[in-house]
Amino acid sequence: MKVQAIALNTFREAVRDRILTSVLAFALLLIAASAILASLSIGQEGKIVKDLGLASSSLFGTFIAIFLGIGLVSKEIERRTVYTIIAKPVHRFQFLLGKYIGLVLTLLVTVGVMVLLVVGLAWAVDGHWTPGLLAAAGLDFLALMIVTAVAILFSTFSTPTLSAIFTLAIFVIGRLSGDLRWFAEQFAGPGLRRAIQVLYLILPDLSRFQIGPQVVHGLPLSTAGIVWAALYGVVYILVLLLLAIGVFQRRDFK
Amino acid sequence: MISETLLRPARISLVAFLLAFGLLVGAVIPLHRQALARAGHSFEERIWLLPPPPALRVASLGFHGMAADLVWLLTIQYFGGHVSTDMQFPELRRMLETVIALDPDFVEVYSLGALFLNYFARDVRGAIALLEDGARANPTRWEIPHDLARTYYLDLKDSRQALHWFEVTDRLSGRPHYVPRFIARLYAATGERDTALELWQAMRDSATSEWVRELAMQEIAKLEGQIADESRERMR
Repeated sequence: MKVQAIALNTFREAVRDRILTSVLAFALLLIAASAILASLSIGQEGKIVKDLGLASSSLFGTFIAIFLGIGLVSKEIERRTVYTIIAKPVHRFQFLLGKYIGLVLTLLVTVGVMVLLVVGLAWAVDGHWTPGLLAAAGLDFLALMIVTAVAILFSTFSTPTLSAIFTLAIFVIGRLSGDLRWFAEQFAGPGLRRAIQVLYLILPDLSRFQIGPQVVHGLPLSTAGIVWAALYGVVYILVLLLLAIGVFQRRDFK
Repeated sequence: MISETLLRPARISLVAFLLAFGLLVGAVIPLHRQALARAGHSFEERIWLLPPPPALRVASLGFHGMAADLVWLLTIQYFGGHVSTDMQFPELRRMLETVIALDPDFVEVYSLGALFLNYFARDVRGAIALLEDGARANPTRWEIPHDLARTYYLDLKDSRQALHWFEVTDRLSGRPHYVPRFIARLYAATGERDTALELWQAMRDSATSEWVRELAMQEIAKLEGQIADESRERMR
């Protein structure tokens, strides 16, 4: 109940944020513009609308997750509102969980609006419905939930600027982890290869959540692959949230 | 009367704002023209500066499909620009290779790129190499071996290779109904013109763009003219 109240409050606060409205407006404009851009291709309108649409929703969703996520805890400390909350019979983990769920809810609404536009445009261009787009967007959303959890973890012990830099770095590494591992296997010596393999296992592999290319090309999707990726995502989020709660519990608010 | 109203202290900031806004908006168009004239980077220069595929793969942060689409749109722009001017395409092959390095499953790039290379850049070997790359990257798609067979048959007059690629096409699901008939004709080495005509007709009927349809219709008209000439000759 307490978690729910904090989550709803976080959602309301985030929805009122002007950054969110402007980023969403810009994303919707870009997705709509992809239909104009696609008309310049030779018979590839559907592919371009889906590719650009999925990439835009993922990128703008990440911006929202990072720029709202980094301020979730630090803003409360800065405004000193955290004192009034932790003085009440609210556990710190409930506060953090509420914040996380509130931001995920905000992302669900904003990314949902973007994905609806992508699906609608793809339908209009292709003349048929592509259900795989929803699966691709769903897995992408799980990657966004990981980025949000990373942002919250950093915001429990760091400044908003540093949290933004760290989260952005984790996002970039996560997106490129597949390529990094490939480069290491091809060109690195045994020591560096091992180091990169260890990093690959520790850092989030966000490329696991990308099934957009298969959906766009109409290739068969592996249900087992999707289920394993989803499980990996859920467990990774739980680990990050536990870490964040651990740090937040030990934090001294004097 | 008007100047008195405008010079009231309360209005001065508004007037100054409107003046500044008007001046700046008025300056934008000539400045933009100057910037364009002195930019130093023409479209061609931007094409030369296109980074190699591995760098683009990293820079696109895993959004390889989107990066491939953008390079594909650039390729079409480049191709269209040269079709309407000098018909020289020195960067075409590199651009096509960049698109498929970013998105190897983008089957239409192999097919359309091969048409660009073959019928406009007059680089039939380049077209074959592109299609062979496509067949290796997409072994389950019938379109690429089919295009290889068509290119070998129509442009290189190599029936042996055409037969091989039609046989590859025949093993793949979704292939057109006429493929077994062509295989039979190639084994019997008969009906060359009819096969060519049917191949172009199939291309016209399955074309997803007006440009490909027009190309096929031109070739059909040429072939029909030749068939009509031949039958007239025979009548005499």
